[in-house]
Amino acid sequence: MSFEMWAEKYRPKTLDDMVNQKEIVERLKSFVKSRNVPHCIFAGPPGTGKTTAALCLARDLYGDAYREHIMELNASDERGIDVVRETVKTFARVRSIGEVPFKLMILDEADNMTSDAQQALRRTMERFTETCRFILICNYSGKIIEPIQSRCAPFRFTFLPREEHDKHLKWIANQEKLDLKDDGLEAIFEVCAGDMRRAINTLQAAASLNKPVTAEVVYSIAGRANPADVRRLIETAMKGKFVEARKQLRDMIQKYGVAGSDIIRQIHTEIFKTDIPERWKIILADVVGEIDYRLVEGSDEEIQLSALIARLVETGHELRKAG
Amino acid sequence: MQNVYAAWTVKHKPKSLKEVVGNKEAIQKFVNWVKSWDKGIPKKRAAFLYGPPGIGKTVTVEALANDFRMELVEKNASDYRTEDAVKRFAGLASQYGSLFGGKRIILLDELDGLTGSADRGGVRAITEIIKTAQCPIVLIANNAYNPRFSTLRSRCILIEFKKPRASDVLKHLKRICLLEGIQAEENALKFIANRSEGDIRSAVNDLQALAQGKKRLTYDDVSWLGYRDRQATIFNVLRMIIYAKTCDGARKAVNMADVDIDMLFQWIYENVPSHLTDPHDLAGAMDALSMADVYRGRLRRTRNWSFTRYIIDFMTAGVAMARVNSKPSGWIPFRFPKRIQMLSRSKAERALQLRIGYKIRRKCHMSAHRASKEVLPYLRIIFKNNVEMAAGLAKWLDLDREMIEYLTEDEEKAEAIVKSLS
Repeated sequence: MSFEMWAEKYRPKTLDDMVNQKEIVERLKSFVKSRNVPHCIFAGPPGTGKTTAALCLARDLYGDAYREHIMELNASDERGIDVVRETVKTFARVRSIGEVPFKLMILDEADNMTSDAQQALRRTMERFTETCRFILICNYSGKIIEPIQSRCAPFRFTFLPREEHDKHLKWIANQEKLDLKDDGLEAIFEVCAGDMRRAINTLQAAASLNKPVTAEVVYSIAGRANPADVRRLIETAMKGKFVEARKQLRDMIQKYGVAGSDIIRQIHTEIFKTDIPERWKIILADVVGEIDYRLVEGSDEEIQLSALIARLVETGHELRKAG
Repeated sequence: MQNVYAAWTVKHKPKSLKEVVGNKEAIQKFVNWVKSWDKGIPKKRAAFLYGPPGIGKTVTVEALANDFRMELVEKNASDYRTEDAVKRFAGLASQYGSLFGGKRIILLDELDGLTGSADRGGVRAITEIIKTAQCPIVLIANNAYNPRFSTLRSRCILIEFKKPRASDVLKHLKRICLLEGIQAEENALKFIANRSEGDIRSAVNDLQALAQGKKRLTYDDVSWLGYRDRQATIFNVLRMIIYAKTCDGARKAVNMADVDIDMLFQWIYENVPSHLTDPHDLAGAMDALSMADVYRGRLRRTRNWSFTRYIIDFMTAGVAMARVNSKPSGWIPFRFPKRIQMLSRSKAERALQLRIGYKIRRKCHMSAHRASKEVLPYLRIIFKNNVEMAAGLAKWLDLDREMIEYLTEDEEKAEAIVKSLS
């Protein structure tokens, strides 16, 4: 019996295998047909098939030996300007031998590149267009500098529709002879919010427990932003216990590795379920939204979320004063 | 009998350039310039030695004067408060040869000590002296790029002194121990050397404080030193920030802290809740810290270091101005940031996580950084619950034993997995 990460095992190999992002796939297929690819930006939320699409495109374009014609770089690991100057340039300048006259440079997580590196990249893209085409993959195209954006064909990836998500997971469960219950599927969707890679990872982790995959199982492994924990966090804060709430938050982030965006999404959900005057719910929604935005801009999730907790403490205080 | 209580920094001061620790290049540049005076007055009549405190700038000049048998005329901050005071020793600079036939070198030390209003004209007067100097003049300051020195700088040959490596400091400490007849554990001296961060003077002072009167010095003798003295100052800085009445007062306190901005940020973040107890004040202060963090993010992305000023604005003045209703507390101690403790403990852990991340990256088309955050939690669940699947994945990802142990958090399980691999 062989084991791999299922997210890799079930990653589509060719554009034909890709069941979602139909319009994008069609356009990519036309690139393959004409044997010409412009510089591209693949933007969209995680787990929506951006990297997969790039790899499928490469395979369809170059055949099974596609690895010889492409380079994958990850800006989160190599984000400096030196990488662009050295590695990227060296790769880009040498002409490819074969039917397709250019190579493909796949720059993943490109929104983590420094703006200096992006500036350097811009010139490289221009000078070596003949020999190399770039696919920049990112969550937010806004973090790619304008001059690069204007040189690229934009592709916006969207979350898989619920049916596609369910169909795909059920298919994997079937292949792996797994008993995936309906409420388990539902829970995976709730926890992973349409991020396919996370969904498949969750499914595999659930499978390792060797029992039917129910909602309870999913929550226990995603023991991560468990709704009960988030509720408890809000309650502690509303009671005015900032330091204690901060500790709960810290545990969630550091011990269980819950993403800040995850916690904030759940706080948002919970706020509308709590028993406070309606008027306050919308005030808090504004606060949550602001912090959500700062989370993207800032550098430290705990700091941002504690600022939110302090607002909840303040709100609790106001509510008690009003009786 | 020699005075046993003499400061070791004086007692064991290098007498010759050969004994000076580190900064070989800077010293060579300085020597060449002094030697050039023998062939006539050089273009730059003054040398400006600069660099952080305690790394041997003054000692270098003294050792050189000793080696070259020059008469050293030394002035420090207390001697040249004003223009008049400077002019008074201007005469000295008008001759290369001294009364006794030797050559003369003039040292103006601690130039940073010249403060704006009190030393009015001081810098100008020094500039004047340099213009006509007939003997080498040496200026010393921590920061040569202080705007006040701009005209002065153009008349000087600039020589930067850098912090010596810990290994160089260590060598110096060993020499002193030898001379003092102290048997010291290598670890103990290393600890002192590392802690000094290149400040030899403070390292020697620490050594004396810990080792004087002893025959042996062990690691246990020194390890408790920790950050003891640093904390005393940080408490004052925190007090100045949190209880500042003006924005400027809060912002200026940053200069007094001898921890970096990120560390200071953590100190403030840890201690704000116990000092700003009113819920409105607390929310305001946390909001300020949140904004400071937003600027940290912007700085990181753009590498635009000038954003530091906004970080400082929010984390100091922003916090101070949020304090409206909270009464100044009688005495609430400041606490060491918990996160720093957690972070330092988990530094090795994060390194290991990243190494696993790189293993994942080779197979899964994602960055090691992202993998170590996003995939690792799932691996952990699998490794804890399913030996067979774990073994398969360990093989596929090529994980080593340490990684497997980390993921299982259980030696027996790790053993079982490793066994089924072979």
